[in-house]
Amino acid sequence: MSGQLDMIILLFVIISGIGAITVRDLLGAAILFGAYSFLMCLLWAIMGAVDVAFTEASVGAGVSTVLFVAAVFRTTRRTKD
Amino acid sequence: MTIHPFFAYLTTALISVSFLLTFIRLVIGPSLADRVVALELLSIVSIGGIAAATVITGKAVLLDVAVVLALMSFLGTVGFAYYLSGKAGDSPDIGKGEGAQRFGKGAGR
Repeated sequence: MSGQLDMIILLFVIISGIGAITVRDLLGAAILFGAYSFLMCLLWAIMGAVDVAFTEASVGAGVSTVLFVAAVFRTTRRTKD
Repeated sequence: MTIHPFFAYLTTALISVSFLLTFIRLVIGPSLADRVVALELLSIVSIGGIAAATVITGKAVLLDVAVVLALMSFLGTVGFAYYLSGKAGDSPDIGKGEGAQRFGKGAGR
């Protein structure tokens, strides 16, 4: 079970990572980074590293997404360059 | 507790198809609300995947990860809803961004 699901989730992780650094919309980049964190959390949990999955779920998927949204809220949504 | 291998493969295939469809909507979603809902659905599918991995592997400690993931995905959804509503609370220096300017600060929302 673990092998096929690992490969599929790793493919999605790569796609969301590349999308997060290439998209022009900063809020879309924050959402793609949240998706990256969710998928990495699932990947850590499937591979058996429970404490790493805990940290990824709490810090990566929860707090950093809220901080990015707050930063976009205070500044601008489009990149200038 | 173990399940039949056929049902393990069936569950894995269904969760993979759910990931694929949700991820397509997450990438091509034209508006922001589509992407936020797709992110929420992705977290729910992740929780389902962790629960399926718990049943298949028999490690009950993985369920704690599912609980924390549900809690934190709700926090992220609240953050995005906070942005989309354009309402920034009572602090005077917050709400100068685009979300506040689009809806007007304190315009009865």
